[in-house]
Amino acid sequence: MSKNSKKECIAMLLAGGQGTRLGVLTAKVAKPAVPFGAKYRIIDFPLSNSINSGIDTIGVLTQYRPFELHQYIGNGQPWDLDRLSGGIYVLPPYMGAQSGEWYKGTANAIYQNIDFIDNYDPDYVVILSGDHIYKMDYHDMLEDHKRNGADCTIAVRDVPIEEASRFGILNLKRNSRQIEEFEEKPKNPRSTKASMGIYIFTWTKLRQYLIDDENDKTSENDFGKNIIPKMLKEGQRLFAYQFDGYWKDVGTISSLWEANMDILVGNELNLDDDKWKIYARNNAEPPQFITPTGKVSNCLISEGTVVKGTVRNSIISHSVTIGENAYVEASIIMPGAVIEDGADVRYSIIGWDAVVGKNALVGETLDKCRPGEWKISVIGPGYKLPEDAVVGANEMLG
Amino acid sequence: MKNHTMSVLFASDAENHLNDLTIHRTTASLPFGGRYRLIDFALSNLVNANVTTIGIITRNNYNSLMDHIRMGRDWDLNRKNSGITVFPPFVFNSAHEVYKGKIEALYTLRGFMMDNNEEYVIIANTNIAFNIDFEAVEQFHISKGADITVLTYNTDDTNPRKIIVSKDKNCRITDLRYPVASDAGKQLCNLNIYFIKKDLLISLVDNAYAHGAYDFEKDILQKKLGELYIMSYEVKDYVAVIDRIPTYFKRSMDLLDPAVREELFYKHSTILTKVKDSVPTKYKEGADVHNSIIADGCVIDGTVENSILFRSVKVGKGAVIRNSIIMENSIVMDGAELDYTITDKDVIIQSGRKLSGYESYPMVVVKGKVI
Repeated sequence: MSKNSKKECIAMLLAGGQGTRLGVLTAKVAKPAVPFGAKYRIIDFPLSNSINSGIDTIGVLTQYRPFELHQYIGNGQPWDLDRLSGGIYVLPPYMGAQSGEWYKGTANAIYQNIDFIDNYDPDYVVILSGDHIYKMDYHDMLEDHKRNGADCTIAVRDVPIEEASRFGILNLKRNSRQIEEFEEKPKNPRSTKASMGIYIFTWTKLRQYLIDDENDKTSENDFGKNIIPKMLKEGQRLFAYQFDGYWKDVGTISSLWEANMDILVGNELNLDDDKWKIYARNNAEPPQFITPTGKVSNCLISEGTVVKGTVRNSIISHSVTIGENAYVEASIIMPGAVIEDGADVRYSIIGWDAVVGKNALVGETLDKCRPGEWKISVIGPGYKLPEDAVVGANEMLG
Repeated sequence: MKNHTMSVLFASDAENHLNDLTIHRTTASLPFGGRYRLIDFALSNLVNANVTTIGIITRNNYNSLMDHIRMGRDWDLNRKNSGITVFPPFVFNSAHEVYKGKIEALYTLRGFMMDNNEEYVIIANTNIAFNIDFEAVEQFHISKGADITVLTYNTDDTNPRKIIVSKDKNCRITDLRYPVASDAGKQLCNLNIYFIKKDLLISLVDNAYAHGAYDFEKDILQKKLGELYIMSYEVKDYVAVIDRIPTYFKRSMDLLDPAVREELFYKHSTILTKVKDSVPTKYKEGADVHNSIIADGCVIDGTVENSILFRSVKVGKGAVIRNSIIMENSIVMDGAELDYTITDKDVIIQSGRKLSGYESYPMVVVKGKVI
């Protein structure tokens, strides 16, 4: 019926996760739709990476609170994904003639969309997730996959050995990048190669494993727990693809804050890169305006924002208002938020469209903390914090 | 409202004297307000009033305009029916000469106007930054039983080519004339935007063209004052007419007034423009920015005061920019100083250089120059 041209490689983006650890920020939207870096959302990173890598067909698997995400993706035009053939497709769970069910696990989500993938008759499928901030060339990884004659290639990065027990760890064969063993959160890690949750599969192989996995009633239908270990056990060729660039899981308040701050310090996460642009859906807003009383240093600020107060070391998104005599330090102010006159905001995340009332105090100046342990205060999206309110470090309202 | 109005826009106007700023471009594509081109205002107002069949008549240097408009998607004008059409100067013109005046230009667009079904036409110059409600103009036109509605505004800008409008208490225009030496203070002037029934426009243009006339204002408006109901619709909203470099400078600086910013950018329509995927602006440790409009994509490590920075401008350490307009992609290197200066796109001001003009005569650095 519908005739689609063949694609060598397509991407499937897992965007259904709730992201419970982000608390009030993901109470009403899925994690990939959370704002990042003054004008982006988390999902802009895998989408931009895909189009920059020459992948023009992407299925986005949504489940939890999908409306915001569907609206944001729209026809895919901001990422140049409005195509005659291919492009971007939002794939929520659906009812079939026999049955219909929610996505039970990451592997099940792909299993339920085998028809979609078959439609493009791809040789390879890239599996991505919508909760990481990084710039990566999937094409380079695909070349690696082909050179190795692999059935599956997993992107890995080195983590400190003391943190390795928090990740899925890959043990490689001696003097090779072929994977010998996969351990999910090992107590005594034997390697520092952590899986980044980015996989390339040879489609015919994956297709069979997905069907077998679905028939296995004991399986949790998860790539990390079921599919990968089973492929290893059965002697399939799995390889690691080493990635040394910037990568951050922004699944917690602390790590989301840290990743935003990483844009301000040094060149670790450089967004101003003409060769690897990050695309986002844009609002038509006039340029930002720093008033005669405004003071700004070491900040990232976007369109439509008016700064009448003082902001330091912060990420100020589009359409924000910072009132007179307000003070903002080391914080993330998400789109449309208002910091009223005289308010003081430090080491905080202020959700989109939230209001911090006059002279309110949010957060405290923090001494240097260990990664992942910053006590960041959070005001939820749309929350109206009354005048003179006081919100301590690590508190979350909304 | 259902779209029963179309529009014809003039990308250039021989009456404008923007010299160095329009060497490489039409007036319509003159950068304004940090991220816009002048034509964005007309297009956004039209789209907001559901006027979606728009023809743009160009005269010369229209490459930058074509690049800006592309398929019109950024204004939601890439439609199946209607949308935006750019007409190069010679498109229907067998004489192979650039049109002499609006009448000739409109005559060449006869086919375009007749092929579309709309009942009315809005004819407008594009050297105007404004945010008005064209639906109110249409209602005025119909309720007054006007043949032609001329949009007017009060201004004290001195320009010998502006047209002063006199009207009676019913808003009917009684006289149109150029200024004389004794005119002082604010005057009601022609904004060069007209609302007219399409069939009437075509017959007026046909008739004037057949008599060798080419000046729309002189040969049609002025001559028909007695015969037709030509009405004045006074625009009370903020209007910036850009016709010379000092007015470009002055009207740009108006945007630093929050009331003007509010009116021009938010009052009736959202002002839409080409999306460029710039990164947010980075203010470094050395940034000292006051009373300035800054577009996305800039990197600022110096002092910026009472100025407008377009997209992707780089301001080096210790550089000082005051009372200036810096267009897209320009670089002001460490320690350079600018005062009352307009730099066009892609200009480089090298370290330690100092440039200064005056409020009444800002210095202009032409596109792409290195100083």
